[in-house]
Amino acid sequence: MRKYWARLAVAAVVATTVAGCGLGGGSSSPGGDSASAAVTGEIKGKVTLQTWALKPKFTDYMQGVIDSFQRKYPGVQVSWLDQPADGYADKVLSQAAGGGLPDVVNLPPDFALPLVRQGLLLDIASADPALAQDYVAGGIDAYRYAGQPGAYGYPWYLNTDVNYWNADLLTKYGLDPAKLPTNLDELIAQAKVFKEKSGGQAYLMSRKPGLGDLANAGVRIMAEDGKSFTFNTPEAAALLDRYREAYQQGLLPKDVLTDKYAGNAKLFSTGTAAWTTGGGNYITSLATDNPTLAPKVVPSPAMGTPPLYVQGLSVAKSSRNLPTSLALARWVTDAENQAAFAHLTSIFPSTKASASDPYFSKSDGTNASAAKVIAFSSLAKAAVLQPVQVDQAMSDIVNQQIALAISGGTTSKKALDDAVARCDQLLKN
Amino acid sequence: MTHRRWYTPWLLIAPALVWLLVFTVWPSINTVILSFTNARPLGGGHFVGLENFDRALSDDQLGDALLNSVIYMLVCLPLLTVLPLLMALLVQKRLPGITFFRTAFYTPVIASAVVVALIWGWVLDERGLVNGLAQRLDVLSQPLPFLTDRWLLLLSAISLTVWKGLGYYMVIYLSALGNVGRELHEAAAVDGAGSVRRFLHVTLPGVRNTMLLVSVLISVSALRVFSELYILSDGTGGPGGRDMSVVMLIQMYSRGFTGHLGYASALSLLLFVITVGPLLLLLRLDRKAV
Repeated sequence: MRKYWARLAVAAVVATTVAGCGLGGGSSSPGGDSASAAVTGEIKGKVTLQTWALKPKFTDYMQGVIDSFQRKYPGVQVSWLDQPADGYADKVLSQAAGGGLPDVVNLPPDFALPLVRQGLLLDIASADPALAQDYVAGGIDAYRYAGQPGAYGYPWYLNTDVNYWNADLLTKYGLDPAKLPTNLDELIAQAKVFKEKSGGQAYLMSRKPGLGDLANAGVRIMAEDGKSFTFNTPEAAALLDRYREAYQQGLLPKDVLTDKYAGNAKLFSTGTAAWTTGGGNYITSLATDNPTLAPKVVPSPAMGTPPLYVQGLSVAKSSRNLPTSLALARWVTDAENQAAFAHLTSIFPSTKASASDPYFSKSDGTNASAAKVIAFSSLAKAAVLQPVQVDQAMSDIVNQQIALAISGGTTSKKALDDAVARCDQLLKN
Repeated sequence: MTHRRWYTPWLLIAPALVWLLVFTVWPSINTVILSFTNARPLGGGHFVGLENFDRALSDDQLGDALLNSVIYMLVCLPLLTVLPLLMALLVQKRLPGITFFRTAFYTPVIASAVVVALIWGWVLDERGLVNGLAQRLDVLSQPLPFLTDRWLLLLSAISLTVWKGLGYYMVIYLSALGNVGRELHEAAAVDGAGSVRRFLHVTLPGVRNTMLLVSVLISVSALRVFSELYILSDGTGGPGGRDMSVVMLIQMYSRGFTGHLGYASALSLLLFVITVGPLLLLLRLDRKAV
C-alpha cells in the first residue's frame, strides 16, 4: 500500500514537473480556425472586461459605457475588473498562464505580442471585417505583428510626445522661447549657450538617446521580417558620437548615464532642466507637482517623427462568449465612447470619425490646450518607433550600451554592435 | 492500548512538508529543469541541452557581474568580519550612555535596504550632499561621479553594505563575547597578559566559531548582492551594465512578459555553484584550524 502511494506521488511530481516547465507541449498554435472567420452570433450572456488603472478617476465614465452596452443588449452581463497600474504585466501574465484571461482585456501592443504568439488572442481583423473602415491605420497596424497574420486588438486611445520647454529658464540663460530647437543640431547649439550662461547650474538637454532617437535619425531598428536587429549602422554611431561630445562638453548631467526616462521629467519639474517630452496632458499633471512652473511651460511639436503610443482592447480566443466579447470591445472603442473619454483627459481617439472633432484641433488659449492640439496634429505623422519585439531585457541592454558609448567607455560602433549581437541572441531564444 | 498508525507522523508534518515542497524543493527542481530549456513565461520551452551554460560562459556581462561579486565579497569579508568585532568590544563595556551607541550602530540594520540605498543615492548624486559640501569647501572642483563611474559606483555600494551590516554583525559578536568567560581574562591578566595579548589569545579563540559563521553569512550575501547596486544605479547596472551583480543579471533576463527564463535559470544555477564554493572553503579552513 505504501509503495502504491509513493509511486503515485512520484508520478504526480514528475507529471507536474514536465508540464510546469512546458515540456509537455500542448500550447495552442496561433491562427486557429476560430480566428479566420467573422464572429457572428447572438449577443448575450456574461463577459468580463479588464482595464488598466482607470479607477477611480474614470469609474463613472467606464460604468456609463458598460451600462449603456447592457441597456442595448439586455441579456448581457458585464463584469468589469480594473487592475492597478503597478504590476499589470505580471497580472496579465498570470491570467494567461493560468488560462484565466478576461474575455476583453486592455493590452498595449507589446503586451499583446507574447499572447498572440501563444494563440491566446482573437484575430480582430478576421472577426470584424469593418475594423479597417472605422479605425485609423496606425492604431490597427500597432496590433499587426511580423509573421502573425491579422490584427489582434481594437485600437482604443492614442497618445504621442510633445516637447515642453521652461520659458523662464530659457530666457534667464540667453535663449528665446519663440525660437525653440526643431532638430538635434539646433538643440545642441542652444544647449551650449544655455550651459555657458547657466554655468552648469541647469541643463537644456537631460536625457540620453534611445531606440526612438535612432529611428528618428533614419536608422532601421529591425529587419523587415522581424527576425534580426539592424540598428548598428554608421548613422546610428554618428548620432551617439554627437551625444558623447555633448556629454563631454557638460551639456548633459553626469547622472544621465544611469537615469531612466523618468529622470528627465523629474529634473524638468524641479526646474533643473529646461526641456522634457511628455504626452498631451503633461502640463495638467505638472500643475499638480509644480503649480508655479506649469503656466511657464511652452509646448512645441516633437522633433522628427513623433512616437505613437497605442492602447487597445483585445479579445481572448478562449472566451466562451465570443460574439458578446467582440461586441463589447467594439462598443468601448467606438467613435462616440472614445470621443467622450478623450474629452475627459488628454488622450486621442483611434477612430476615423473623431478626426474632424474641433475639440482636438482648437486651442482655448492655455498652454495645456495648445499642447493637446499639438499632440493631436502630431498623431497624423506619428509612428511606433520602437518595435514591439524589443522586450525588457533587450531594452536594458540597448540602454546600457548607449550609456557606455556616451560615457566614452567604448566606441559607438562597438557599443551598437554588442547591443545588436545580444538582442539578436535574445530574439532567437 | 494505544493504536499507532504509520501515517500519523506524516500527517503532523504534512503542512510544513507541503510548504517546503511547494515553495523550496519544487522551485529548485524547476530551476534546474528550466536551465536546460529556452522557456519563456508563456508557453513552450524546448530542451536546448547545455546551450544556456555555453552562452553564459561566453557572456561578457556575466564576467563583469562575477568580477563585481567577487570584489564585493573580498572587500566586505574582512571589513564586516573585523570591524563589528571591534565595535562589539567597544560597546560591550558598561559605560554611561553606551546604550545610545549600541542603538545608533544598530539603527541602519532596521531600515529597509531599499530606503537606505535611495538615501545614499541622493547623498552621492552629482548634486548630492557629498559633492555639494566638497565643492563648497573647495575640496573638489568638479563633482565626483559616484554613481556613474564603474568603480566608484561599486565602491559606493560596498560602503553602503558595510555601513548597513556593521550593527547586525556587531550584535552577533556581542552575544558571542558574552560567552567568553571572564575568569579566562582574569587568569590571563594574572599571568601578565596585556589587553592586546588577551584579545589575541582569549577573545579571538572564544569567538572563532562566530567569526566563521559571520564570514559565511557575509560571503553568501556579498555574492548575492542586489538592492544596493540596483537602487544606486537606478536599475541600469551603471554605464554598459558593468556594475551589475549576478542577481541583477538574473532579474534582467527573467522579468516581464517575455522573460528569458531558461537563461536566467542557468545563471541562477551557476550562482548557486559559485556560492557553495566559498562556503566549502571556509568550512575546510575551520576543520584545519581545529
